[in-house]
Amino acid sequence: MSLPSDAELIGRSLNEPEAFGLIYDRHAATVLRFLGRRVGAEVAEGLVGEVFRIAFERRKTFDASRVTALPWLYGIGSNLLLKHRRAEARRLRANARMAAAGEAPDKRAGAAALDARLLFPRVADAIDALPDGEREALLLFAWEDLSYQSVAEALELPIGTVRSRLNRARAQLRELLEPGGKKRVRSR
Amino acid sequence: MKPVDLARKLRREAAFEPAALNRGKAVLMAAIRREAEPKRRPTIVPQVPYQDISAALSFLERAFGFREIPTARFVSADGVLLHATMEFGNSLIGVGGQGHHGAISPMSGGVESQFISVQVDDVDAHYQRAVAAGARIANELRDHSWGERTYWALDIEGHRWRFGQPIREVPQSGRRRRPGEH
Repeated sequence: MSLPSDAELIGRSLNEPEAFGLIYDRHAATVLRFLGRRVGAEVAEGLVGEVFRIAFERRKTFDASRVTALPWLYGIGSNLLLKHRRAEARRLRANARMAAAGEAPDKRAGAAALDARLLFPRVADAIDALPDGEREALLLFAWEDLSYQSVAEALELPIGTVRSRLNRARAQLRELLEPGGKKRVRSR
Repeated sequence: MKPVDLARKLRREAAFEPAALNRGKAVLMAAIRREAEPKRRPTIVPQVPYQDISAALSFLERAFGFREIPTARFVSADGVLLHATMEFGNSLIGVGGQGHHGAISPMSGGVESQFISVQVDDVDAHYQRAVAAGARIANELRDHSWGERTYWALDIEGHRWRFGQPIREVPQSGRRRRPGEH
């Protein structure tokens, strides 16, 4: 016998609320890691229960034609993250420093390592400066490896809008890579 | 390097405490329990008889802020309202006719054999509302030595209601009723 799908479980939970506990067991670790990448362990640990509490309270609105609830849960998480922009910006800059340090022992020329040390903080600034909707689409795609379709489900957007947001975000980052591109990125 | 790969370079895993997922689940399960619990209903429900149920419902709402539960009405086959239920805070009262169960309205009997005591959040505001709706005030607003502020009102058929709000903590040992307090 196969396991019930997320949609079946959520449907069942309308009459048997306890069934929603299984949705947590299936997806909480993924959602926690997602939140942790964005705002760090401490804030993420406080948010993961909230994501599922909100999902539980909105479960009537879950689109039962979706087999997995994960994009929906990502979307609720993304919304909550907007209230933690400062923690997110802090972590992004810390990640940039660590990524730059990680590049240092590169076998190639020291110049490349130096470039990385200069480049990554600017990437962090550029990501941080993206409009909320573009940053969210970019990070769901790049960090969470969601498909365009899943990003669209998470952000409740048409897939075309996701594509254009990702293109705008890419264009911002490409400028940092091109020689003679933007020398300075708006920083906060 | 592609722009998206550049963004991927900044991806870093967070290090969680082992119990992090348990705490999150506790938050969810508390929400589930809150919903799964049947709505608490009071154990004792006073039944208050009136000659005119509809007029009573309207008065009790206007004067005292009680709310009828529309799904709880009993109506006879020929459409006469026999009984209704009103809620206030976490309590209920039944509003019914008189006669068949032996209870009668003070308007018919000329006496009240009991009164109903109700706790409110803001007794002064409640008093104003009751007066504006035409309630007769039996005892004016006053503070009591046991730490409560109250007033008493009579409804349209003469049932007696006492409304009170705690205004300060008074230890049990200090609670002595003084003359004139009620």
